[in-house]
Amino acid sequence: MAIASINEQLLRAVGVGIALFDGNTGNLQFCNDVFGEWFDDAGPGVAITALFPELDLNDVKTNITTGGRHSAELSFRRNRRTLVLAQIISRATVGDESVYVMECQNITRIRELESMLASYSKMVERNTREIQKEKDQVEELLLNILPRGAYDEYKSFGAITPKRYEDASVLVLDFVGFSKMAEQLAPANLVSELNELYTAFDQIGEQLGCERIKTNGDTYFCIAGLEDSDLDHRGAIIKTASLYRQYLQKRNASSEVDWVCRIGLGSGAVIGSVVGVKKYVFDVFGPAVSDAVAANAAAGDFEVIATDAFAAEGNTASQFAPSKPGMQVLIAD
Amino acid sequence: MANSLFDKYGGFAAVNSIVIEFYNSVLDSDEVGPFFENTDMENLIDHQTKFISFLLGGPVSYPDAKLKAAHANLEIQANHFDSVKTLLGETLADFEVEAADIDVVLEKIESYRSLIAA
Repeated sequence: MAIASINEQLLRAVGVGIALFDGNTGNLQFCNDVFGEWFDDAGPGVAITALFPELDLNDVKTNITTGGRHSAELSFRRNRRTLVLAQIISRATVGDESVYVMECQNITRIRELESMLASYSKMVERNTREIQKEKDQVEELLLNILPRGAYDEYKSFGAITPKRYEDASVLVLDFVGFSKMAEQLAPANLVSELNELYTAFDQIGEQLGCERIKTNGDTYFCIAGLEDSDLDHRGAIIKTASLYRQYLQKRNASSEVDWVCRIGLGSGAVIGSVVGVKKYVFDVFGPAVSDAVAANAAAGDFEVIATDAFAAEGNTASQFAPSKPGMQVLIAD
Repeated sequence: MANSLFDKYGGFAAVNSIVIEFYNSVLDSDEVGPFFENTDMENLIDHQTKFISFLLGGPVSYPDAKLKAAHANLEIQANHFDSVKTLLGETLADFEVEAADIDVVLEKIESYRSLIAA
């Protein structure tokens, strides 16, 4: 068997698409069966650029002259599909003749899988973002009803154990004449007013290290010293009380509804715990809470009152005459 | 919560073969293939990946409005819809998806008929 015949059989037998074309005319001289399956029109004399319109013969010549080969990835449509071929074109010399050899690997499946992977990755990323968003919303909701420390404990262990805090300060605020206001104001109006007031209290308290524990109608409870043991919680709670008063007095000057508060302060040990199994409520109990409730009950309009113990511990000298047994008026008009 | 069919049949690692097979079946079909005559490969693969994942309960959601918008103006008729449904059932069977699970998938796609077909 002649060498040329063996060579041709070899080219036909290989698994990649092979085409030989004239470097000057760009016309096909030979293609194997694999190549022929991709192009019905492929055959001797057909211009290679008719099969691959994107192929630039000048580029091919330049690349082969400078680097010995030309590489490209070209796609074309066949049977409604996009086929992608990775091509390497090099030059071979047969006797005096020079011929260009194009090897084509069908990498369609690789590109399809890459597209699928990209699509799937985007799906998963979007899904992950949505899950994270929902997680953030749940965290935000839980942090509305739980102190950060309790939330972290719940997240780590799935439960919150009651904890004793040796020294914290509690503020209890309520509004004078609330029952009457509840009768006079439209329910939506009343709720809107309370919402605005409590939101403002939350923001003021947050800046000073005080955290709202709960509200009960017109009664607002907050605490300082639960999360930050280095905080001067007595000083912080007095400052918070003072700002609540100022905020209300300023608001009253320009609002149709007058809100008059009474504020009681207490300090000492408290126990913080979640109450309830499915409907979580974080609550605090203990001497500091009882003292603050008692002080609140003893307070007059716009007065901030604390127990003697609170004033003594905080070294807070009252400038007002003690008018109630066991209590110190810290701030009043 | 019960695992989705997507998880049951091996997640993306297994579903990608189903997607490729379904992609080929759809393109080879003279009835529905012409709908994708001018669709490029990336878009079609993207569509099929989401479509199969969605039907198997994978990590993709298709709001009704999006599904309807994606098929609007394509004039998909009942016979085209039936054809795709049949191709999908055959593809899933080729990958040894249990008959009961195939029924679940086909019932799911059927529930979207009014959003997809004209």
